Amino acid sequence: MAAELSVRDVSLHFGGVNVLEKISIDITAGQVVGLVGPNGAGKTSLFNCISGHYQPSSGSILLDGIETAHAPASRMASLGLARTFQHPALRLDATVLENVMLGAHSWLPGGPMSWSLRLPATGRAEREARGEALALLDRAGLAWAANVPADELSHGLHKGVELCRALLSRPRLLLLDEPAAGLSHGEVEKFIETIRGLRIDFDLTVVIVEHHMGLISALTDRVVILDHGAKLMEGTAAEAQSDPRVVEAYLGKEVTDDESA
Amino acid sequence: MDKIFANRWLRLAALAVFAVLLIVAPLVSSRFINYQLSMIAVFAVALLGLNIVMGYTGQVSLGQSAFLGLGAYIAAYGVRNEWNLVLVLLLCAIIPAAVGMLVALAAARLRGLALAMITIALPIIGIPLARRFSEFTGGSQGTTVSFLGAPDWSGLANDQWQYYVVLTIAVVAFVLARNLVRGRVGRAFAIVKENESVALAMGVSPYRYKVLAFTISSLLGGVAGFMYLAIVQFTSPETMNFFTSINLVAAMVIGGSASIVGTILGAIYYVLVPVVAGQVNSSRTALISGAILLAVLFLLPRGLVSLPRRMSLLIGGTRRRGASPRDDQNSPDGASTADPGTPETPTAHEERQAR
Ligand SMILES: Nc1ncnc2c1ncn2[C@@H]1O[C@H](COP(=O)(O)OP(=O)(O)O)[C@@H](O)[C@H]1O
Ligand SMILES: [Mg+2]
Repeated sequence: MAAELSVRDVSLHFGGVNVLEKISIDITAGQVVGLVGPNGAGKTSLFNCISGHYQPSSGSILLDGIETAHAPASRMASLGLARTFQHPALRLDATVLENVMLGAHSWLPGGPMSWSLRLPATGRAEREARGEALALLDRAGLAWAANVPADELSHGLHKGVELCRALLSRPRLLLLDEPAAGLSHGEVEKFIETIRGLRIDFDLTVVIVEHHMGLISALTDRVVILDHGAKLMEGTAAEAQSDPRVVEAYLGKEVTDDESA
Repeated sequence: MDKIFANRWLRLAALAVFAVLLIVAPLVSSRFINYQLSMIAVFAVALLGLNIVMGYTGQVSLGQSAFLGLGAYIAAYGVRNEWNLVLVLLLCAIIPAAVGMLVALAAARLRGLALAMITIALPIIGIPLARRFSEFTGGSQGTTVSFLGAPDWSGLANDQWQYYVVLTIAVVAFVLARNLVRGRVGRAFAIVKENESVALAMGVSPYRYKVLAFTISSLLGGVAGFMYLAIVQFTSPETMNFFTSINLVAAMVIGGSASIVGTILGAIYYVLVPVVAGQVNSSRTALISGAILLAVLFLLPRGLVSLPRRMSLLIGGTRRRGASPRDDQNSPDGASTADPGTPETPTAHEERQAR
């Protein structure tokens, strides 16, 4: 079941710096929402608040109606949240499959005792996770790389591996932080296809931070524009692109850049 | 597929040969060699613990000798009071584990140097404590025990019997540890070492897994203490010596960090290099050991365990870079592999700060 996310009056201050100012966003189950804004607008910080990596200074965050603003980050996965990072952080010495398998941590059963004794239940669950991981890799066109060490893959493929790792946690809300940054044109097209496929086959709510307006238009139901830690506007991708405030926030630069891509 | 199979059979065969060697060796060797083999088993278990906390989980631990000493003292106390040996072994696991866990609950929030300092304190505090409580420990003189002699039905000499006992304990410890580091828990350890932000995002609490790694490490240190007493039949405050901890860290790195086979190689190094160096020139043991240490680290920065890979790289040419679907015949296209490079954004610091 896709999750419903409600961000209410969330503010975040570091020392004297106001990184986020009373942000409110409501996302209904199953929507794909774009979070757009110039560098330093606070997009990643908002993700960090939602995922529990940062504690908001004030405000509340409700995941399916449950207050999570002050829940520990390590609990969020079991509440159905998964995220990727702006800079993919994989274990470079481990294989792609091992990296993806980490995603199953929150739902694999058993503690250190049962895993060191390899109780049958752990073996069964591990095989199930492996099967799911391979299926996800296959869907992302990465089945061939399952046993390749991650450091032998390109940056673009790392992003795909990271997406598979997040999906293996069986999320109901997925936060993607600049998933297309640094991807080639072909890779972006492929990524758009992958997310479209996910929408059909998985019951997911997705929030995407992205500068690539082509991708945002193609994938999102709605966009929220952030600038200097405040919400500038909210609407469809087309509305956002024609809004003079948005164009100004970007100084015309990145919007036009990415539209041509 | 063929290659994987060949590899697997090769591994099984190697394992079988290794097992037979381990079983036959004490029957055909001198007491001296049996003693060295037994010591390798002892320190393999101590190193296994160290590797779990340091190699697999990435937390500095410079206090493993304290748990070795603690285990040895618990064993000596139990033996002198004629407790059941299985019970003694269990206590040698549980008490050091509890002590390690308490220390870790306080220390695991720290990182780097602060954490190193706490772990250094363990042997430094442990040695005067051991001297002080002499009715338990025998004080500075240490304590001698006599136990684990070969039963008559076995037809073995004491050294052979003791070897089989410590070998059995070591094998059990290694099998359990190998299972642990391969699955859910091992992946959690690895991501705590690699990136705590990602660990959190995947539902892994770095704090909990650091405490767990320290606890297991202390447990194995204590068990190694029992094994140590079984072989040496004597322990003193010297067993806790801080330099033992340092040498164990060196041996772990030399054998191969975060590797089961590397742990065994590290133990062989730890026990045998001083012996070999002593035979080459007994007044220059430390110097020769140091030279070997530097040579291994220089030639094999990932430890002795990386020797086969290193050799095949030297022989087989360069390592694949930028692997792509083209490496595999089944894949549809290779167009997506061009690496456009990572654009640096002003937020490169975010992940570190998010921790
Ligand atoms: N941990 C932190 N400490 C201090 N400042 C921070 C921290 N994290 C983010 N910031 C600041 O918050 C602002 C927004 O950053 P970020 O959320 O990464 O923006 P975006 O993802 O939109 O580019 C930046 O000015 C950044 O320097
Ligand atoms: Mg960002």
